[in-house]
Order: sequence, then C-alpha cells, then structure tokens
Amino acid sequence: MSAPLAETLTQLRVGNQKFLVDFYQRSRHLFARWAQRQYQLDAPQAHGLLQDTLLDFYDQVADGRITKMPDDLRAFLYGMAQQRLDAQVPAHVPLPAAEAGRRQRLLAQFNQLGADCQQVLTYFYFRGYHFEKMGGKMGFPNATVARLQKSACLRKLYDLLK
Amino acid sequence: MSPATPPRPDLRPYFDELERFADGQMAPAEQEAFELRLEQDEALAEAHAAYEQLTADLRWAAGHDTLRLRLQALDERMNERGTALARTERLAKLRQRRWTVLGTVGAFVLLAAGVAAWYFSRPSPARPARSWEAYYQPDPGPVVTPALLHSRPLLSEVLDQYQSGHYPAALHSLGRLSPPSVGADTLQYLRGLILLRQGQGNAAQLYLRRVSEEDGASELARRARYHLGMAYWQAKELAPALKELRAVAADSLNPFRAPARRAVAAGVLERR
Repeated sequence: MSAPLAETLTQLRVGNQKFLVDFYQRSRHLFARWAQRQYQLDAPQAHGLLQDTLLDFYDQVADGRITKMPDDLRAFLYGMAQQRLDAQVPAHVPLPAAEAGRRQRLLAQFNQLGADCQQVLTYFYFRGYHFEKMGGKMGFPNATVARLQKSACLRKLYDLLK
Repeated sequence: MSPATPPRPDLRPYFDELERFADGQMAPAEQEAFELRLEQDEALAEAHAAYEQLTADLRWAAGHDTLRLRLQALDERMNERGTALARTERLAKLRQRRWTVLGTVGAFVLLAAGVAAWYFSRPSPARPARSWEAYYQPDPGPVVTPALLHSRPLLSEVLDQYQSGHYPAALHSLGRLSPPSVGADTLQYLRGLILLRQGQGNAAQLYLRRVSEEDGASELARRARYHLGMAYWQAKELAPALKELRAVAADSLNPFRAPARRAVAAGVLERR
C-alpha cells in the first residue's frame, strides 16, 4: 500500500490533484456525518471544512512540510479538521509569518487578475505546459504569442504586488 | 505581517532577462554570460532569488486556487445531484401516496356503492317495501285439465289466457261466458282478479266486494276478501285495504291468511 501512496504524494507535488478530488467525492457524506455528530456542524459547514482541510493538506505536500504519506490518511485528515475547529480559526500549520503573509498576498493578487491571465499562468507555472501547448490550449496563433502573453501577465501580477 | 517582511529588490530592471533565463529562452552563450553575471553582480543575484521566490509562490498559488475551484465545482455538482435525487425521491413518494389515497378512496367508493346497492335493494324491517305488488300473492285459479277443457272450453280458455298474462283477451273471453254455466260468483271473482292484475284496482273492487259480501263463509268469499284488500291498496285506499287485510289475517280458514298477515305486519299501510 505504501508504494502507491508514495507515488500519490509525488503526483500531488507535481500538480496531479485527482487523488484529493476523489477523496472529497468519496468522503464528503461520511465526513459531514462525523462533523455533525462531533461538532453539530450542518452539512454545508462540514463540506466547507473538508475542502479547507484538503487545501491545507495540499499546501503542506506542495511546500514539503509533508514528505511521507500518512499510514491512515483518513484519520490524518480528520485530525487536521479537528485542529482547525479546535483553533477556531483557519489553522494553517505555521509557516514563518513572512512567508505565509507573502503567499496569501500573492494569492489575493493572483485572484485579481483576469481569467485569461490566471489561466495562462496556471498552465505555465502549475501545469508545466510549454509555450506551444499553452498556445494551443488558449487559442493563441503560435508559441511566441503565448510567451508574450505569459510575460505580460507575470508583469501585471508583479505590478499588483508592488 | 508586512512590517516584518524585509525589503525586496525591485525586479523590474531585470525582469526581461530573468524571465528569459528562467524560461530557457536564452542562447547558450547568452546563458553562460548571464550565469557569470549572477556570480559577480550581487543586485542581480538578489533579483534572481526574488524572481525564483515569486515564481515558486505563483506555482503554489495557481495549484492552491486550482484545487479550491475543483473542490468547489465538485461540491456544487454533488449538491445538485443530491437535490435532484431528493426531488425524484420526493416525487416518487408523492406519487405513491397519491395512488394509495386514490386506491383507498376508490375502495371506499366501491364499498359505499356496494353497501348502498345492498341497502336499497334489500327489503328490511327498517325500510319495508311500500308497493302492494311486493306483498301480493296472486291466485292462479283452477288448473286447466283436459277434463275441464272438455267440459267447459270457454272457462278453460279464460283461465289459460289469465294464467298466461293476457288480461285483455281473458276479459274479452270472460264476457262470452254465461253465468248459469259457471256461476255468477265465480265469474265476478275472475273478473275482479283479472282487473286487479291489469292494474284497475278501482274497477276490481266492485266485483270482489260483491263476492266477499254475498256469502262470507264460502272459500271464494274468503279469497275475494284478500284480493279486495289488495285492490284497495292498489287504488291507494289504505284504510279500507288495512281493514280488509286485517280481517283476512285474523281468519284462520282463509287460504291467503299468510300473505295478509305479512302485509299487515310490515306496517306499511298504517304509516301512510
């Protein structure tokens, strides 16, 4: 079991989030029942909590705070959810304050960009598409246009951060 | 958080170079030269580190946001599916409940119709039949035997027509009979009977009364009295009908005592 799970972690780190999406689909109902029983949360609140917990997990895997897949992933995630509730605030496992603040600020500015810019930057930096493939996905005439678009979007983001 | 953040170098003067370097867009010679500058130029090295941090953060932000949007979209799809399933289930239950109600109502209606049909069609002590016909016991008259046919052919014809229900023909044939050959009482009795069966209770009363009053002790008079009572009833003269039928019911020798008692006991004549 450990080999496929280790593989899953690697996949997650390089951007394959299917594993977490599948987990959400499979576990949403059971998690909501657990949260209702333990914390009297209604279903929408429980669903939101599970989404936040999975995002936390993803962040920790992405930046290397989790390097080994937990033996009991379900128990681990439920524990994370419990910590969030006990702390009564979005309890991200602490990063250095400066780093956490910088990331959140960048995320906020990223969401201020237009949908096309967000898509272009996601394709290039998250999916790892080369310019030709990105151009094809976005409907640009060639790779050069794709490169120029990416460059313009990155500058726009940087200007927003400044 | 911002105050704790150390001042970051401004990337703008180097942006183009840094981007081309990071994206592998430089020619090999240019790249080598740039790498050399990175080692020597401190400001460029700081800018490069900041650029790498920016793109690393951007990679994280894009991944985080992608996952957030995917989970939200999945959540909405699951909610919609759940709502649709709940609606389908609710409709199925509603339909089932409607059929149950309709079935129950139908069963009740059928039951009520059955009870009503039984109630109205069944003569009961609570609602006795009011029609005189329900209590009338006809007198078929003597049986037409070959001997009677031979000795009294006309009388046989009258009886045959009467027994077959051809009352007008029977009355006509009766007119051809002469009193001496049959007996005046018998003729009047037969006429009264035929008129009664024809629905002419008023006309029948005259003949039947004469027979019943002429010789009250004879069997013919006893029979006539019963039919006279029924003729009154047919003519809706209830008081004389009740009187005659009570007399018949009290007469142990009257062959129609039983039907008379039944009619009196029903109390239909009294209530009216």
